Amino acid sequence: MIRFRITDIVLGVGGLIALLLLWHLVTALELISRVFLPSPAATIAALEWGLVNGDLLPQTLATVNRMVQGWLLASFVAIAIGSLIGVSAVARAYIQPTLEFLRPLPASAIIPVAISIFGLNATMVLGVVVFGAVWPTLLGTIHGFAHVEPRLVEVSRLLQMSRWEFIYKIGLPNAVPDILAGMRLSLTVALILAVVGELLTAQEGLGTAVLHAARSYRAADLYAGILLLGMIGLVSNYGLAIADKRILAWKS
Amino acid sequence: MAAASTAIELKDVSLSFGSNEILTGIGMSVEPGEFVCVIGASGSGKTTLLRMIAGLLPPTSGQVLLHGRPVRAPTRKVAVVFQDYGRALLPWRRAYANVSLPLEASGMPSRDRPKRIRELLAKVGLAGHENKFPGQLSGGMQQRLQIARSLAQEPDTLLMDEPFGALDAMTRQTLQDEVLRLVAERRTTVFFVTHDIEEALYLGDRVVALDSNPGRIAYDIKVPLPRPRDQLTTREHPEFLRLRREMFEIMNRIHA
Amino acid sequence: MTDALAKSWRGWLFPLAVLAASEIWFLFNPILSDTLAPPSRIVLGAVDIVTDGTFLRTTYQTLFAAAAGLLIGMIAGTAGGVLIGLMRTADRLSSWSVEMLRPIPSVALIPLSLLTFGYGYRMEYAVVAWATFWPFLILTQHALKQIDVRLIEVSKLMGFGIFSRIFKIMLPAAAPRLFTALRLAVGLSLVVSVTVEIAANPQGLGYGLMVAQESLRPDRMFALLIWVGILGWAINYFLVRIEGRLFAHRTPGLMADA
Repeated sequence: MIRFRITDIVLGVGGLIALLLLWHLVTALELISRVFLPSPAATIAALEWGLVNGDLLPQTLATVNRMVQGWLLASFVAIAIGSLIGVSAVARAYIQPTLEFLRPLPASAIIPVAISIFGLNATMVLGVVVFGAVWPTLLGTIHGFAHVEPRLVEVSRLLQMSRWEFIYKIGLPNAVPDILAGMRLSLTVALILAVVGELLTAQEGLGTAVLHAARSYRAADLYAGILLLGMIGLVSNYGLAIADKRILAWKS
Repeated sequence: MAAASTAIELKDVSLSFGSNEILTGIGMSVEPGEFVCVIGASGSGKTTLLRMIAGLLPPTSGQVLLHGRPVRAPTRKVAVVFQDYGRALLPWRRAYANVSLPLEASGMPSRDRPKRIRELLAKVGLAGHENKFPGQLSGGMQQRLQIARSLAQEPDTLLMDEPFGALDAMTRQTLQDEVLRLVAERRTTVFFVTHDIEEALYLGDRVVALDSNPGRIAYDIKVPLPRPRDQLTTREHPEFLRLRREMFEIMNRIHA
Repeated sequence: MTDALAKSWRGWLFPLAVLAASEIWFLFNPILSDTLAPPSRIVLGAVDIVTDGTFLRTTYQTLFAAAAGLLIGMIAGTAGGVLIGLMRTADRLSSWSVEMLRPIPSVALIPLSLLTFGYGYRMEYAVVAWATFWPFLILTQHALKQIDVRLIEVSKLMGFGIFSRIFKIMLPAAAPRLFTALRLAVGLSLVVSVTVEIAANPQGLGYGLMVAQESLRPDRMFALLIWVGILGWAINYFLVRIEGRLFAHRTPGLMADA
């Protein structure tokens, strides 16, 4: 079993290294112009320099901050509203169709409206992030509260639980997996909208940094920024996956 | 008065869903401490009958009485054990917390609960598994957990809906004996639904056979086999074999 | 039938109430006519964008870019997914690389795409291709992995060669899940297209929205916004219907479902 895992790691890392070598080869042989594809060495150098001497660190933190703030706020709103809608079949009957219609709407499409209302500033970006991040968690929360195992509903009746007891002891724990799944999606959306917001408003952040690098033809800086954005996505995803596993330890 | 001391009484009970007649003209009484097994094919309404006694479902006509009083809603003195244990347990709570549920509902102070929970788990043979989640337990163990939870209610009546149907034969036999032991302790009245004739004869003081479409009582037979029951000797007892043949013939006739 | 009818009127009540409320609110608050618009003016705005050709032009631009990117992402992603779904070695070799590259948000590539291709269709469908590649890759891999082992054994025993096995047995068996991946990717392609247009590319529905906002024409802006919503909803709705039609007859057990 352990041998099995080590082979996986060796092959995986090997594949990654092969990819990096390919990248190096392509740039060394100038198959793609250095303007569009900097060498791995140049990218790493730009990354190092940017983090140590330059602005990459504060910019990364600014993007992360924007993403997390919006996500937390959105989660709070979504869970609060979602639980109220989810427990009430009546509320769902009236509201769910509208939500189903709005589900496929690109959250970024709301940006012009947000600009109309807030202007081109940080508040607008935060508002857009919150708006976009609300949906997955809201829908997940509603789903989680709306779908309780009927047998457990019977058990609660047999034990004569009050409505609040039912919500607290059965409704909420039952909804947690769906809420968490929604929150994971919401975080992805939050990152995307934070970056889009930065592209539009030149607020401090990686989006702005990357756009600036592109406009100044600084490919290595551009790629360094892209890698950092990938890192943010990777770390936040893994972080939530780990939190998921711990909270949902009961799922066999 | 005999009627007031009857544990369960069904007076001409019928149940219909719209034009669908599920049960009709059910009349029977169960004495306190009696172990009644109800058998019938699918569609005979035996589960529906159980749910009416549990207070989950009102009859369309007739009366369902517990200790002489009409059943209007579930009561703490009646505990139910379902067949689909996986769905009846709270998967996010550990074993001890699942057993704790009825204790919380009855308002037992939290400092008294751990002792009671440990007792109950030990009684059903789950000592040492308190901290496991239902998902980490085998089917038989999950069903024991559900039984432990039902016992936490200190019920005087236990309703069991094909509780061993989803288990393998060996586990089924072990749990049959466990249930017999547990209810003998407290002289609990048991209403046990099953489709297994041999199980019904092995466990019960009495077997009631239901006809189907609509469900109605076809036969009500006493099972005068000696207690305590034993998987080997009871099942080889001449009276057991005679009743078994008789029940098979009855069921064949019903479902001709 | 009456159940569905009853269900549908309830669903309309909420949005209609919101529209009516906003209409009334605007009667008393005409000041915000630069930034927001009541339903009555939005209708006029809708007429406006249709008559001056904006509607057709921007819709075509967005859909073309989304479709082009989707096609590229689908072909590359499905091919890759088949490879890593069927060959464990390919899966293990690529796993780390996939995990490193996948989290890069497509929007992060907008400046790069801009640098490489400049404004226009190519930069947009390049970003859409990146965005849709990953779901096709991962979901195709999963779809193939989840085919009932029994089916694969049987196909081997029947003496089918590898290509026959893939095209005659495995892809059809995985088809429902593959179609779900397609449905998700189609929705994603629309979202990404519009996002690229809002963030950078001066064409399509997203850009139309930005232009309407900048020129202080909320009537046109909201009309376009509602159209984008309808478009997304309609595409998803029809795909769900098609999905139901195509796979309704499927026997259970063909896929090793959870």
